[in-house]
Amino acid sequence: MSAQVRPARKRYARNVILPVVLAAVVFVLAWKAVVVIGSFPTFILPSPETVAARLVEAWAAGTMTPHVLATLSEIGWGFLVGASLGVLIGYLLARSPLAERLLSPYLVAAQATPILALAPLLVLWLGTGLAAKVVICALIVFFPVVVATIVGIRAVDSRLLELGRSLRATRWQVVRHLEIPAALPQILGGMRVGATLAVIGAIVGEWAGADRGLGYLINLSRSSLFDIPLMFATLVTIAAIGVLLYGAVVIVERALVGSWR
Amino acid sequence: MSRRIVLLAAFLFVAFGCATGPSPTAQRTALTVGLGYIPSVQFAQFYRAQQQGYYRDAGLDVTFQNEIDPNLVTLIGQGAVDIGMSDGTSVIPAAGQGIPVRYAATIYARFPNVVMTGADSGIETATDLAGHTVGIPGRYGSSWIMLQALLASAGLAPEDIAIRNYPEFGQGVALRLGEVDAATGFRNNEPVQLARESFPTNLLTIDEITPLPGPGLTVGESTLASKREALRAFVAVTLRAMDEIEANPELGLDAAIAVVPELADQRDAQRAILDATIAMWASPYTAEHGRGAVDPQAWQASIEFMRGLPDSNIPADLTAAKLVTEELLP
Repeated sequence: MSAQVRPARKRYARNVILPVVLAAVVFVLAWKAVVVIGSFPTFILPSPETVAARLVEAWAAGTMTPHVLATLSEIGWGFLVGASLGVLIGYLLARSPLAERLLSPYLVAAQATPILALAPLLVLWLGTGLAAKVVICALIVFFPVVVATIVGIRAVDSRLLELGRSLRATRWQVVRHLEIPAALPQILGGMRVGATLAVIGAIVGEWAGADRGLGYLINLSRSSLFDIPLMFATLVTIAAIGVLLYGAVVIVERALVGSWR
Repeated sequence: MSRRIVLLAAFLFVAFGCATGPSPTAQRTALTVGLGYIPSVQFAQFYRAQQQGYYRDAGLDVTFQNEIDPNLVTLIGQGAVDIGMSDGTSVIPAAGQGIPVRYAATIYARFPNVVMTGADSGIETATDLAGHTVGIPGRYGSSWIMLQALLASAGLAPEDIAIRNYPEFGQGVALRLGEVDAATGFRNNEPVQLARESFPTNLLTIDEITPLPGPGLTVGESTLASKREALRAFVAVTLRAMDEIEANPELGLDAAIAVVPELADQRDAQRAILDATIAMWASPYTAEHGRGAVDPQAWQASIEFMRGLPDSNIPADLTAAKLVTEELLP
């Protein structure tokens, strides 16, 4: 058994991890080369080692932790609300032509409205606390999930539904045991996109007004402290959060789709 | 054929003559001047100097560029903008982080950020703020520094007041509506607007407590070395335009309206803003040392105050001598 697992792990390391590490190394080397060739001072483009040192220092000093926790909380709640509503309304639109005719134009219009323009208004109405950020995140997560859900539910094999009806399955049983499992790959695909967008939503919300969070820390380091390495360190942290969230959804996707299929 | 040759020769003579001959534009030094976020009556002196040809006559080819303050300081340090209006409280942390900028001429000799309270609120000193709700745009920038300095002068800390954020700068409206007991604002903006709406205010100012540096002309060190004489000329004629506008504010108002015609729709309000702006151009120090004078002692006091703020990143070796220069003043 372990003899079979070892080659698989080696293949995974060679085919997945190695390219990712190589790409990161190339990116950092290119970044360093740009700094050296362009002779950029730190306040325009800090070198990767300066940013890395500032990142470590900010974490060690406890500067990052409260801001990361605040942003993660906004992302978590926003994703939960946006993805839940996205699945519910997506299902409704997929199965009800009337609902689709009624709601679709407004959903598209809402999606076309720049969140950057809406964010200050939401902060004005809901205050600078958690609520406004959750709504901004939810709005930005909602659309990809709703579209993915519509596509997924509509793609469910009609023969499966007929089979369910012939077995006298209840509506809820059809939804739970046939439609959702069949549409899950598409829904989770939408959630993958939504997870990264949720990070953007939280940062946009914090830019519009906040006392805490990574978006606030970017503003603070850029506008008040002029600490550009800290700003870059914050950007690196935000990017890492996006990658981790994306990876988390992929893991959930593999676990759920694997278990249902 | 010979006619063609003559025409060609004439064309070449005119073309090369124009290209190589002396031209007034070619002799002028190009200066990119950074002003605040959007064009407004608060930059009237620059508009007047441009429109009256003072810059041109001084051998300058001036182009204005509007930018928010943090961007402007960085662009000045980078040399992309030659000289610009920056908050003194931005110049201190920027220089502290290695951005090579110098504050060269005071434009606002009084600190423009204030705390406003209703005239009948009973809040007339910083001590009175204890326990009250204060509206602010956020915990950053010059307003936040001023509020901390004001509270510290009364032995108070931000924890001794209830802070409410208005990120869209709606704290003045909140004060009028009674949502907050006090609010931060700019001496030449919110209090003027509120007074025009029959809502008189008390202003708690910082000038006599911690002399924080107001917005002024800031230059990058490399530009200072390469365009010193042009910058000196720029500062001199800008200060001259300020003198003229102080003597006759209508000149400034007309200059601003020429740049932003929409201001003409509210001429009275804009005149009130300009009057409040002019009132901040002079202080006892500039009265004694001349318009634009930079007070190194006040700067040193400000640096030390900002170094003592929580989360300050002002290095110990930053001094006023490294931050300000008076070499561009007339």
